[in-house]
Amino acid sequence: MWKNYLTRLVQSLPFFITGLWMTIAVSAISLAAGTLIGFFLGILRTRPNRLFRYLIGAWVDVIRGTPFLVQIFIVFFILPEFGIHLDAFPAAILALTNLGACFICEIVAAGIRSVPWGQKEAASSSGLTEWQQLRYVVMPQAMRTILPSLVGQYVLLIKDSSVVSVIGVTDVTRVGWLTVQRIPHGLMVFGLVGLLYFIICYPLIRLSNLLEKKMAKGTR
Amino acid sequence: MIRFKNVHKWFGKIHVLNDIQLEVGAGEVLVVCGPSGSGKSTLIRCINRLEPIQKGELIVDGMEVHDHKTNMRKLRAEIGFVFQQFNLYPHMTALENVTLAPMKVRKISKKEAISAGMEVMEKVGLGDKIDAYPAQLSGGQQQRVAIARGLCMRPRIMLFDEPTSALDPEMINEVLEVMKALAREGMTMVVVTHEMGFAKEVAHRVAIMDVGQVIEIAPPHEFFSNPKSERTRLFLSKILSH
Repeated sequence: MWKNYLTRLVQSLPFFITGLWMTIAVSAISLAAGTLIGFFLGILRTRPNRLFRYLIGAWVDVIRGTPFLVQIFIVFFILPEFGIHLDAFPAAILALTNLGACFICEIVAAGIRSVPWGQKEAASSSGLTEWQQLRYVVMPQAMRTILPSLVGQYVLLIKDSSVVSVIGVTDVTRVGWLTVQRIPHGLMVFGLVGLLYFIICYPLIRLSNLLEKKMAKGTR
Repeated sequence: MIRFKNVHKWFGKIHVLNDIQLEVGAGEVLVVCGPSGSGKSTLIRCINRLEPIQKGELIVDGMEVHDHKTNMRKLRAEIGFVFQQFNLYPHMTALENVTLAPMKVRKISKKEAISAGMEVMEKVGLGDKIDAYPAQLSGGQQQRVAIARGLCMRPRIMLFDEPTSALDPEMINEVLEVMKALAREGMTMVVVTHEMGFAKEVAHRVAIMDVGQVIEIAPPHEFFSNPKSERTRLFLSKILSH
């Protein structure tokens, strides 16, 4: 019996590959946008301006303190009540970008705070602008703390992207749900789904570990 | 060059600078000493507004530091600041540390910056260490790179905040020698230090601070041989006895 399932599963592989592409597309777009916004917010968060600091802090806490499933329901089912209608794909991108930006904001802010205050004092004493201080002195040092956690966060976000299947985005998880209705062997079907996630995530996990070791060794 | 006029500063309720009156002329070397917590570091940090003052006037090189509208970046480019903890940029070589501000603030070309950087590194006796990272240098060498970093901007004033306090004893002299050479060249310098040998040798005046006030200021020979206040005598007996 299971041989028959396996044959049918192999026949549906192209369907899985399409799903995998969707997972990769959703993740890649959200991670890229989330990284940009996350860096921007993280830097703003460490500025002296209190208003920005508190606003960003409050938003990050709300997003980090609520399930992603609830967030994506709000974007997809509640926002239309306020006249904002999004298709499943852009809704998924919006929700995942927001989630990524919030986590990355925290990573970036922590990295910036890990740079000794004397570095900033030395840089500002020499007449560098705020932007130059950040660009040449603070960020290069902060990146040593940021990079390994950032890559680790990417792994978590790629896995979180499976939640977008609930609003009808045909990512690899939804392909699993659809397939298991035809091939009633859950272990085999979702084993394949899990394997596909693992194939994307494993290199990133290794990269994160490598970066961590490399950054710990470097000059200081 | 530097003028404090009735300057006050508070950290919360603590009155760290209490009615400071002080003038430093062009080419003058002023040494500031005093017990810890007396406000001497705060005093020197106010000069380039690493710490803002809350009351009074502070005029440096013709610019009003107390006025928050003053463009501090322009003034800071004219003032070299040397920290107790060196604060070299650990991700850059010595030469990159020295040439960053000249290139980014003075906007000189990389070529010019490198030749100016080599010159100041030679001057502090580290011409052979330009490609070393701070972590590969001893404390004394790091502090000399920090001085070179200040000098490379061709500043009009150099400020030193306890430049030798974080150094092992055998490294103090190499840093003091560089500072003495600078003093003899006529650089305007304010130096917070307990190195009284340095004060005797090159300072034009020595000031002592206590609880936020300058309690005595005099040329070194007077300051050391005939201190006026009891507080100064007490302080000198403590630091000169060892």
